[in-house]
Amino acid sequence: MDRREFMQLGALAGGTLLAGQALAQTSSNLAPVRAEKPRIVAPGGQVAVVTPNGSTLPWKNVRGVKVGHLVAMPVKHTFAPGLEVEAWGYNGSTPGPTIEAVEGDRIRIYVTNRLPEPTTVHWHGLILPNGMDGVSGLNQRPIAPGETFAYEFTLNRAGTYMYHPHYDEMTQMALGMMGMLIVHPKRPRGPRVDRDFALMTHEWKVLPGMRRPDPNAMSDFNVLTFNSKAFPATAPLIIGRGERVRIRFGNLSAMDHHPIHLHGLYFEMTGTDGGFVPESARYPETSVLVPVGSTRVIEFVADEPGDWAMHCHMTHHVMNQMGHEAPVTVGANARTIDQHVQALVPQYMTMGQAGMGGMEEMGMPVPTNSIPMMGGKGPFGSIDMGGMFTVLKVRENPEAEDGSGWFAHPKGTVADKADPAKLAADGIDPDVHFG
Amino acid sequence: MKTWSSSRWKKPAQGALLATTLVLGGCVSVPYADDVRDVRSTLGPRWTPEVPVPALTGEAQRGEDIDAAVKQLLAQPLTADSAVRIALLNNRDLRAAMHELGIATGNLVQASLPPIPELELELSKPGGEHELQLGVGVEYSLSDLLLLPQRRGVALAERASERARTAGEVLSLAYRTRLAFYDVQARRQQLELRNLALRNAQARYATAAELEKVGNLRALDLATERSAVESARLAVAESENGVQDAREALNVLLGVFGAGTQWTVDSLLGDPSDALSKQDGLEARAIESSLDLSTLRGRMEAAELRRKLAATEGFLPDVSGGVSGEREDDRWQMGAHIKVGVPLFDRKRGERISALSSRESLKARYEATATAIRASLRQTRFRVESTASRAKHVRDVLLPATRKALEETVLQYNAMQLGVFDLLRAQDNVTNAASTYVDTLLEHHRARAALEQLLAGRHEGLELAPTRISAAASGSGSAPASDAH
Repeated sequence: MDRREFMQLGALAGGTLLAGQALAQTSSNLAPVRAEKPRIVAPGGQVAVVTPNGSTLPWKNVRGVKVGHLVAMPVKHTFAPGLEVEAWGYNGSTPGPTIEAVEGDRIRIYVTNRLPEPTTVHWHGLILPNGMDGVSGLNQRPIAPGETFAYEFTLNRAGTYMYHPHYDEMTQMALGMMGMLIVHPKRPRGPRVDRDFALMTHEWKVLPGMRRPDPNAMSDFNVLTFNSKAFPATAPLIIGRGERVRIRFGNLSAMDHHPIHLHGLYFEMTGTDGGFVPESARYPETSVLVPVGSTRVIEFVADEPGDWAMHCHMTHHVMNQMGHEAPVTVGANARTIDQHVQALVPQYMTMGQAGMGGMEEMGMPVPTNSIPMMGGKGPFGSIDMGGMFTVLKVRENPEAEDGSGWFAHPKGTVADKADPAKLAADGIDPDVHFG
Repeated sequence: MKTWSSSRWKKPAQGALLATTLVLGGCVSVPYADDVRDVRSTLGPRWTPEVPVPALTGEAQRGEDIDAAVKQLLAQPLTADSAVRIALLNNRDLRAAMHELGIATGNLVQASLPPIPELELELSKPGGEHELQLGVGVEYSLSDLLLLPQRRGVALAERASERARTAGEVLSLAYRTRLAFYDVQARRQQLELRNLALRNAQARYATAAELEKVGNLRALDLATERSAVESARLAVAESENGVQDAREALNVLLGVFGAGTQWTVDSLLGDPSDALSKQDGLEARAIESSLDLSTLRGRMEAAELRRKLAATEGFLPDVSGGVSGEREDDRWQMGAHIKVGVPLFDRKRGERISALSSRESLKARYEATATAIRASLRQTRFRVESTASRAKHVRDVLLPATRKALEETVLQYNAMQLGVFDLLRAQDNVTNAASTYVDTLLEHHRARAALEQLLAGRHEGLELAPTRISAAASGSGSAPASDAH
């Protein structure tokens, strides 16, 4: 019996595989909504922003003013099946709905506070009347629980912005109160894009077995999210080959910047929350650093079809609920340890002596309300990543995709075991020794 | 509280003793069997342990039957009851105590005998032609005869006191045997737990050694785990000593040696029970059945009777009388006389003072003992209840909680939130909780035995001191190897 067989047996005997089961049972629910043909929402054919796993704030047009309503409230939120938390958000979700408008719009947003403490809303990056800036004590009195405040101003500057509280932001942002605010230019700038996505990056501390993110955390964040979802629950971004795509990143993490890396293409950074980057200042990149408290906008044309990874390049940011209190066992003789420990704790099995890969497949019973550190279903087995990870699905016919399928690789385009004859012909000795 | 009353001193066994007196008046043998029967009848209503009191054998000497019975009991794994039975059969101190009762019985027999007549023969040869003259006289102490019932009464009271004391010795032996047996059980269980703690420390050390070997752990952590192993090993050695000490203490009480010491115990300390402590009127029961108070009552009665005897002797002239005959000239001349000693100077005042003081001293001691018995009863009862409550808490709450913590630690380990050392520490906590349970159970059984002892009539020699016998250095509390890296 090898290590995995043992653990599978242990899992059967030991009880539940809550996270694994939940993932299996609800994987169909995780599939992204069927990609819709991009809607035009702004002059010049500017397409609507899509917020994967999220929503857009609806407007009422009242005598020429766009009127919306944000309700700050506690939210039950699922990062990924098996990990549900008591979060705070807006209108029942975290992040709150993306606010989308057009340069020159006058907007009036009512904010109702259903939190147990006061709050405010700061419109991050917007230039507006000082009394609308939402800094508690400085610009306004805080919105007490049960009160509704009105914020009203004109959007004078196109760009990618965010909103979040400026009252006890340590707690309120740590619990998920944030959202994107997009202002389309009145006159389109640059090449017309076919897809426009908004992704809010964030970090949380939720120890396995806990149900509320720890707002006191200053490090050891162990849940990293795009739009408050961790892989494998992150919805893939579906685009058509040759389409021009814009992705707007926001970062309201407590402490960490996120170097977001895209596979299979290069892009240019076209904007920040300060405005548009002049064309002359742009340069090609495959990673964009999204600093804390900033937005970054990138644009690209995806020429190569496929399923391309997009993720934060901090290795622990593509882990779910990573723990680092356990001793390193790499290189250790597990049998030596097992025979001693199993005599006292039969469920014990040494892990990681040959590295951490494939841990998710072991299916070990884990604490309630926790998910495996990594792993999501992929066409070649488990994708050994988690957290701030999603997939860019570049397709010939994106409207026909629902995001649950995998790219069909043309024959001979997938790396596989080398043919010994070819190895020999190329003069490669796999048994070569060094040192 | 019942007060002392001379009317309560009358003993139902007086008739039997009188018969014994008459029987033993002619021939002499050790009254062991009668004394045992008397002790059994004294213990009968008081005897609460499961062991039948007839296990107290009436054989004056160890016989083959006793040896066989003891061997048979020793061949089986001991229980608390079988240990008590063996002790009753085989303990030499108890046999000595029974013989000490025989001393009092002998004194009683002696005090019950009438004074001996004094016969005087006188031969004289006046000389000359006078013939040999023969004089015969018989004299009998009438005072001694008159005082016989009182002297016998004193001896009777002293024997009653001794009988109660001896019955108390039997109870005490049963109690101490029971305690010693519980001690053996508890120490065996603690030894097993200390061995488990040692295996835990060894597992931590083996893990640390493996990790250190491949460069994943500091030498400091390895050394720390090594020290934990050695501490745990020491705790096991101490625990082994504890088991041996407990066995030897029980061997003494069982009166065994050589092959007889190879007995085994395979039962565990029983679950806690507080049913007895919930009953009402326990204080009154303890006072009513107290052999310590009975002993004091017997001694008080003896002192009172000694005082009365001294008073009688002090005022009663020493009267003796007799008849005499003298043969002279082939004729017997018969006469009689009476002697009266007038107690002008010695009216036994000193003896009366001494006896009276003794009685008053015993009376005060009686009252103090009764107070102490009541206090002990309350204390013991509370101890039974509190230890039962604590033991149940450990069994039903603490132990499951530590097991649950271990289960959760396994899950956290699987989630890589905790390390193998955390896991083993959680397991060690289960062991320590089990150790606490054993300690608490032992305390409970000791308290319960003390309560039964009090209700059976024995107050002296109760042991209620806290009994924490687990080895202090289990090794589990030593500094852990860091799980961090």
